[in-house]
Amino acid sequence: MAKKVLNVEDDPDIRTFVTTVLEENGFIPIMAKDGEEGTKKVREEKPDLIILDILMPKESGIKMYHELKRNPSLKDIPVVMLSGVAKRTFLRSQVALTEFGDETVPEPEAYLEKPVEAEDLAEILKKILG
Amino acid sequence: MKITTMLFVSEFEELWFDALQSLLGLRKAGLNHVVFLHVIQREKVAMRRGTGYLKQEERKLREIADIRFIDWAETLFEEGMEVGAHIAIGNVVPKILSVAEIEKVDLIVTARKKRGKLEELFAGSETSDLLRRTVKPVLIYNYLSQSGKVGEDPFERLLLALDWSVSSEKVLDFVLSLKGAIKRVEIIHVLSDREIGKLSKMEAHKVERDSKKRLDEVCDVFAQERFDARPHLYIGNAEEQIERGASEHKATMIVVGTKRASVWKERWSGSVSHSLAEKSELPLLVIPAEVK
Repeated sequence: MAKKVLNVEDDPDIRTFVTTVLEENGFIPIMAKDGEEGTKKVREEKPDLIILDILMPKESGIKMYHELKRNPSLKDIPVVMLSGVAKRTFLRSQVALTEFGDETVPEPEAYLEKPVEAEDLAEILKKILG
Repeated sequence: MKITTMLFVSEFEELWFDALQSLLGLRKAGLNHVVFLHVIQREKVAMRRGTGYLKQEERKLREIADIRFIDWAETLFEEGMEVGAHIAIGNVVPKILSVAEIEKVDLIVTARKKRGKLEELFAGSETSDLLRRTVKPVLIYNYLSQSGKVGEDPFERLLLALDWSVSSEKVLDFVLSLKGAIKRVEIIHVLSDREIGKLSKMEAHKVERDSKKRLDEVCDVFAQERFDARPHLYIGNAEEQIERGASEHKATMIVVGTKRASVWKERWSGSVSHSLAEKSELPLLVIPAEVK
């Protein structure tokens, strides 16, 4: 059965790009345009993988990632970060959130900085989802 | 009333990251979420004869805004703050109002915005338009155009202008909620020289005495909350005296209340808050009477 991949991304051009990559590689794309909608879709759809942007309206990918990894029923869903924000910043932000009393969270399965090639994204998805 | 989420509106011509950084002292009062908004004016990408809609230009402007916001956001994320961003096309004021609603912001930060001369004559400035239409506190930066630099934390030494109206009560509540982010509060009440001129000497003295008493009472409220607050009574034109008070007491920001008025009432009878918003060189924080 085809695996479901949730893409949380506010930029419509990137959403279209990711949808195309997912469909061409046999995955079922699910879209959300911000972290708030993304969290809702994760609970409703239980995707096999999440591709997550960081800087978005309503709720950032940093907050959404932190919440996902602290939720026992969602923490095992693999996450691929796809963002213009540097990986160094992402890791530091997770440490900063921990400093404010939260639990430490693991690093994401992959971190891709925009722009990404279709082949590179497809390869990582196949590697993680088998 | 607390500032946990702040909307930072930037056109990239007048409000930069140093302005935002100067506001991060608000974290001591609970600020933990900053939302960026950049509005691409419709005329910059509008339909043109022979070329149609400037899609390429829109893409370029969005990309520029995105790169700047990512750069600013990285600094805030690393400090453990939550950051969001909106890049929109259209008219500035409606976009500010809509994003403020979507993101449930507690404070809007913007720079003074002007329209074309003809449009301003009939509709006023965009700043006045925003103040008239929002129920959120608005912090207006005016001075960047003069010096090009942002100085100290604007919340360090506040000048509170009180006229004993409902909006003045909101000003007090709001400032009291910022405990921790403020070092000193100068509280000013301006008696109208025209009104005082109509009174007998005894009546004038009574008005002065009552005003001083009320100022002292307000200072006592601040003292109970461990603020360093000082009372000041001025006489003259409200707008001029507020500016004078701010200068004499080296205030870093002026705080005033405002209440909604119709466009025409505002245009022809004027209001102190709107007038200061257009002219004051210091950052101006305007608290609407309707703020929740």
